[in-house]
Amino acid sequence: MLAKLQRRFITEIAEGDDGPASSSRGMAIYRNAYRARLADALATSFERTQYWVGDELFSAASAHYILTQPPVSWTLDAYGAQFPAALAKLFGEDPEVAELAWLEWHMQQAFAARDIGALTAADLAQAGLAESDWEDLRLVPAAGFACRPITHDIASLWHGLSGTADDLPPMPNADEAVLLIWRKDFSPQFRQIGPAEWAALDPMLRGDSFGAVAAAAGEHGIALLGQWFAQWLGEGLFSAIRLPT
Amino acid sequence: MSETISSFTGFGLGLRKEHHALFLDEAQPVDFVEIISENFMACGGRALHTLDAMRERYPVIMHGVSMGIGSPHGLNREYLDELKCLADRVNPLWVSDHLCWTGLPGHNSHDLLPLPYTNQALETCIANLLHAQALLERPMLVENPSSYVTFAESTMSEWQFLAALAQDSGCYLLLDINNVFVSSVNHGFDPLEFLRAIPADRVRQIHLAGHSQGPEGMLIDTHDAPVCPEVWALYQRALDRFGPCATMIERDDAIPPLPDLLAELDQARLAARELV
Repeated sequence: MLAKLQRRFITEIAEGDDGPASSSRGMAIYRNAYRARLADALATSFERTQYWVGDELFSAASAHYILTQPPVSWTLDAYGAQFPAALAKLFGEDPEVAELAWLEWHMQQAFAARDIGALTAADLAQAGLAESDWEDLRLVPAAGFACRPITHDIASLWHGLSGTADDLPPMPNADEAVLLIWRKDFSPQFRQIGPAEWAALDPMLRGDSFGAVAAAAGEHGIALLGQWFAQWLGEGLFSAIRLPT
Repeated sequence: MSETISSFTGFGLGLRKEHHALFLDEAQPVDFVEIISENFMACGGRALHTLDAMRERYPVIMHGVSMGIGSPHGLNREYLDELKCLADRVNPLWVSDHLCWTGLPGHNSHDLLPLPYTNQALETCIANLLHAQALLERPMLVENPSSYVTFAESTMSEWQFLAALAQDSGCYLLLDINNVFVSSVNHGFDPLEFLRAIPADRVRQIHLAGHSQGPEGMLIDTHDAPVCPEVWALYQRALDRFGPCATMIERDDAIPPLPDLLAELDQARLAARELV
């Protein structure tokens, strides 16, 4: 009986059907609170996206998402996880909307990601790696790491929206860029990288060894790979190394 | 669960991020702070670092909103494991949650939804609480929520339900005086009858909060306003009945400057002194 009553109750607050309670004015309070709480969670998580598309379109997208994506996690913080994908469908002609939303979402995920320290150049020096170790060395991404290809200059969009200018920033097309997000210390970071750097980083993220990536870079590319690797370490892009046992 | 929770008779505030720096920069005149457990679960980064620093300065109470002890589907194991992990880290004065359900498997409302006060619901809550208390290795406090509907299926009152729950599960009670008042107005019962039926030896904490006016004379537990005179009066009656008890001002929205909340807390201290 209790399970049936609760199923009817939640159906009513989520979909507005007739429920089991004796007081409809009371049910309206639960119904309004349910929708307001979820809408507020989305508006808080996607503040820049809301600013970019405007309040009216964002509210419509939010209402659609609330109807089609009931919260499944115990934590409200997880509610917006599928919102960037929903925006990709709703704003198919404007892919920068979903890309900006994806950046917002993963910046928050990185902020609260579980703590794992960053791998530094000093850590590598102290590890006393032999030359053969470098051949087999694999790298573990930093806390909160996420990446995706983007079609627009989302970094400029983000920085433009974080200012106080009334005018929306211009939006030049990105050139086959990939957006990286991670956390260094307590601060989420992001950077757009070009196809050449991505071609070096991507295999490492997929678990290829440093030796394999270096071999793929070849004699002409090894110096550039070294520069990138130093930059990645400085940025805190990795958390640890793995060597075969 | 035979363990007990000793009385703790201080005055505290719900810790909100707007005030984190003030609590850490200088010692504030509170005997404890209460955190929302979920804000610090399954995460790392600055939030947990701040909590660790807070824990060094103030006793901490963990107050949850997501356990859903009224769920006939049982408790979410992932949630319980995360809660246990946080409790082990914080070593709180106690862990509390609400007499409610929050959703079904696959559909969470993220709200404190009302239960019918039936034997089946009571057995469900007892079983879930026993499970949670065993896993957490400590007795819990259970809070009375505000509610906006009643159920024709109910066979007992909320206060009878709470008293039975405390007796049969070994839990303690967190009495939210504002919630007693809000529900008494919404459902037309005597709040003093509620207080009289609560077993005094099980009450370990009191929440005080504000509410707002809802439709058609109903009150809504919004926690966005100062404690109203009627709730202060009811608090005095609660002190008469339960004696000195850990008391907290709970504000979740329209967060005012910290001195405003400390002034409200002083009003609670004054009420307790009048008791002496």
